Amino acid sequence: MRFSLNFIKEFLELKVPAKELATTLTMAGMEVEHLEKIGDDWALDIEITTNRYDWLSVLGVAREIGASTDKKLKVKYLKVDKKPIEKKRKIIIENKEDCPFYVGRTVRGVKPTASPAWLKSRVQNCGINSINNIVDITNYCMLKWGNPLHAFDEDKIEGDIYIRRAKKGEKFLGIDEKERILTGENLVIADSKKVIALAGVIGGKNTEVDENTKNIFLEAAIFSPTVTRRSRREACVDTESSYRFERRVSADCLEYASAESAQLIKELAKGGNASYIEAGIKPASKQRKITLEISKLNFYLGEEISKQKVKKILSNLGCTLKEVSKDKLSVSPCDFRFDLLREVDLYEEIARIYGYDKIQPKLPFLLDQREKDGSGLVVGADAYDFKKKLGKSLAVLGLREIVTFSIEGSEQLGAMGCQNLVGLLNPMRKQEDSMRPTLLLGMLGALRHNTNRGQKDLQLFEIANIYNKTKIGFSEETVISLGVAGESFFHLKGLIEEFLRSLNIGKVVLVDKKENNFTNALEILAGSKSIGFLGKLDSSCAQSFDLKTDIFFAQLRVEALAELKNIKKYKEFSLYPATSRDISVAMERSCKFQAIEKIVEKKAGVFFAGLEIVDRYRGKDLPKEQTAFTVRVFYQSKTQTLTSAEVDSLHNEIRKSLSQKEGVFLR
Amino acid sequence: MENELKILEEEFLKDCQQACGAKDAEGLRVKYLGRKAQINQFFSKIPTLEPTQRGAYGRELNILKQKMSAIIEKKLNERQNLEESLDLTYPGIKPQRGSRHVLTTVTETICDIFQKQGFIVAQGGEIEDEWHNFTALNFPTDHPSRDAFDTFYLNLDQDKKNGRYLLRCHTSPSQIRVMCQNKPPMAVISPGRVYRPDEVDATHSFMFHQVEGFAISENINFAHLKGVLLDFAKGFFAKDARLRFRPHFFPFTEPSAEVDVSCFMCNGKKKETKCSVCKDKGWIEVLGCGMIHPNVLDTCNIDSQKYQGFAFGLGVERMAMLKYGITDIRLFYENDLRFLEQFNQL
Repeated sequence: MRFSLNFIKEFLELKVPAKELATTLTMAGMEVEHLEKIGDDWALDIEITTNRYDWLSVLGVAREIGASTDKKLKVKYLKVDKKPIEKKRKIIIENKEDCPFYVGRTVRGVKPTASPAWLKSRVQNCGINSINNIVDITNYCMLKWGNPLHAFDEDKIEGDIYIRRAKKGEKFLGIDEKERILTGENLVIADSKKVIALAGVIGGKNTEVDENTKNIFLEAAIFSPTVTRRSRREACVDTESSYRFERRVSADCLEYASAESAQLIKELAKGGNASYIEAGIKPASKQRKITLEISKLNFYLGEEISKQKVKKILSNLGCTLKEVSKDKLSVSPCDFRFDLLREVDLYEEIARIYGYDKIQPKLPFLLDQREKDGSGLVVGADAYDFKKKLGKSLAVLGLREIVTFSIEGSEQLGAMGCQNLVGLLNPMRKQEDSMRPTLLLGMLGALRHNTNRGQKDLQLFEIANIYNKTKIGFSEETVISLGVAGESFFHLKGLIEEFLRSLNIGKVVLVDKKENNFTNALEILAGSKSIGFLGKLDSSCAQSFDLKTDIFFAQLRVEALAELKNIKKYKEFSLYPATSRDISVAMERSCKFQAIEKIVEKKAGVFFAGLEIVDRYRGKDLPKEQTAFTVRVFYQSKTQTLTSAEVDSLHNEIRKSLSQKEGVFLR
Repeated sequence: MENELKILEEEFLKDCQQACGAKDAEGLRVKYLGRKAQINQFFSKIPTLEPTQRGAYGRELNILKQKMSAIIEKKLNERQNLEESLDLTYPGIKPQRGSRHVLTTVTETICDIFQKQGFIVAQGGEIEDEWHNFTALNFPTDHPSRDAFDTFYLNLDQDKKNGRYLLRCHTSPSQIRVMCQNKPPMAVISPGRVYRPDEVDATHSFMFHQVEGFAISENINFAHLKGVLLDFAKGFFAKDARLRFRPHFFPFTEPSAEVDVSCFMCNGKKKETKCSVCKDKGWIEVLGCGMIHPNVLDTCNIDSQKYQGFAFGLGVERMAMLKYGITDIRLFYENDLRFLEQFNQL
């Protein structure tokens, strides 16, 4: 909110330079975000926190400056004249909760013209456009006292004035030239025929003041903050008036604002007869008493502030004080400080005027909470540590971590076969309307982004949550995704095997799995527990993503990994050398390599020290239904160096067993 | 006989002078020390000699052989060294390596500092309900204070007790859960993803990361809050970092403050060109904090007459942008390898 420094000076004498004042105010909680010199004036852009409605006026800002610079205010309150009573029309308030108090003043025989220079500069330097003297006067008084005012062209009002909820479907054209269809959420000002204003929000085109206006009806009122908020949200508009009403407007100065406006209209627009009318009851200020204990205050802040200092600060803020005991004060906040309700509210007031910066920083002695009661807090700190470990393991394997959005488009997810999506009720865009049930799309997006920019050999991972609708509501689970572009299926498989080894997860079997969007998918099982899956992305799916290379993807469940991980134990290795022998094999496609591996392992027994494939044969002389390769088997004993003869005999046993296996041929 | 050794040696030395290159040295080795070398014939002659001559002749032979080996060895080495020392300014071979995302490592750097102070980490779910996200945090309904905390609501049946489901717009609801389930003293930090319906631009995103923390005990005070955050700033930004606490408003803390850190780029000293980090203000806003509002404590069944505490919250993206001079938040989620590669941390 923008305020003119010269305007503020109407209320108090200020000699400090504007920049210095800005810093003082910022450090007292009234943040001056921007300072601009305009002629002989300064404009201060002040951030007004939602609890300080009382700062939404020049008077309020002046009060704050007075409190933080220890200066007294000089306020000239007008004598409020309530005569004669307006007889031409009545004011009818439908619901006192929506509008507890309404004041109208009629000024007749006015002449709207341009404003004089002083008035123009006041409103303009506060960031409001100058329109004509009538509108400028209402804005001037709103700025000054904090009470929004509205001037109607009185001759365009037909009959009595009603403050009521809009009927559903009722139409309203605002002075912003926008037509709105209203609902019961909108509080309106209406005459006996039509809606003439959206209460506390915006005036109507049908009663707008223009150059031909002769008589003015001036409104000042109190409207409910929540009703104003809902109404202006429904109407999609935010005005100086609604901004104030939804934060709460005090009735304290309402009559001054109304009276001064009428007075100025008479003076500047040559108005003649004036009359007064009101409805409802002016909300009475509630007296509050808060007991403040100085010792408690100092304990709370960790700083010794003397009672004398406390008393000075509070009385500068307009509080009435009574000493109850040596340590206790009874504090009555001034009427306009609705936000001061309890002791902690006073702590803040005292601390901010005293200066947060004067409070000396201290380090607390925090207990080692893991040891507390032997059990520690129930917070799941292990999950954080485990995820950290998983990320490090994957990075060590040469993968790069990515971070992608958890919100994706239901259309795209639906096309991938995803169902039971947790959807957003108020998405910003269609492409971001659902919580993702898989990390696949995010991964594909990152792979595409990089392959499109000529990057090769991509291997990425992400650790994030996936979400699903379930029978009991929803599920949210942390998973890891791995994505590899180019390379082969076995590259990804090798990464996963090594990753599981790093967690010391033993007996894992991979079984064929049908998975949407994947060809050749495998499920990773530990016993009956599924850890996740890996697979090659369907090439048509890859193409639809504009990905030209083969894509391999895996998704692993973090919770399963956490359950299955084991503590590493050292295994003694043999001190004797290993010997290898090769076997060349051709195999029917119906056979699986796993079968060969099993035979070798079983036959070699305790002397088995691993195997590897050293050559794949792709000769022309090979029947189409066969694959051929050379397996190198390693033999080793823990107690001696194996002789050639011993190895040969073992190896021949294996050859024999393999040759007996159906579909396997020795070459 | 000695003569034939002399002849062999002279011939060898002559060859040596002509020889250059590794291949030649290898040739010398084959010719003079290989299986068919002349010296071997001389050795095999030893048994045919007079026993009195054998010793001396053998010694001569050995000396000659050692001499030749040494020279050939030297030649071979020289050659190898020469080849290797050709040009060491060629680039090294880049190893393929992995890394973790800068948001992850910055989150952990932040958490590590607080963990050293004694905080423990608690991470909650991202799908939350109104009660935990707003009500328990002392947010009035239909109040402008909710505007800064705009929220995505979800198409899930609302909970009878806790209201509508939503995506948490801060990690505070996770902290509320910890407060409800545990007894003080406690000191907890909560890192994680949060969501707000903000249009995406260089400094905004509808998904971002936060770290929030709180400590509650019988004697935690505002000075402690300042101490804990100053210690953090020194650890995260610079050893000589200073903090500035400005009064502010949050529904869930009282007193509340916004915190600025002294600009680590210019340290508040004006230079000729405008400071790109703080725009010559000397201070950079980094976090929000305050003493936990007694209403929040009471809501979580913590006696506000007996216990008090502080809370703070900061945005990880902002911290990472400040620390590394990143100017566009979208870089974090684009996952361009040229970006990721610059943060090669584990």
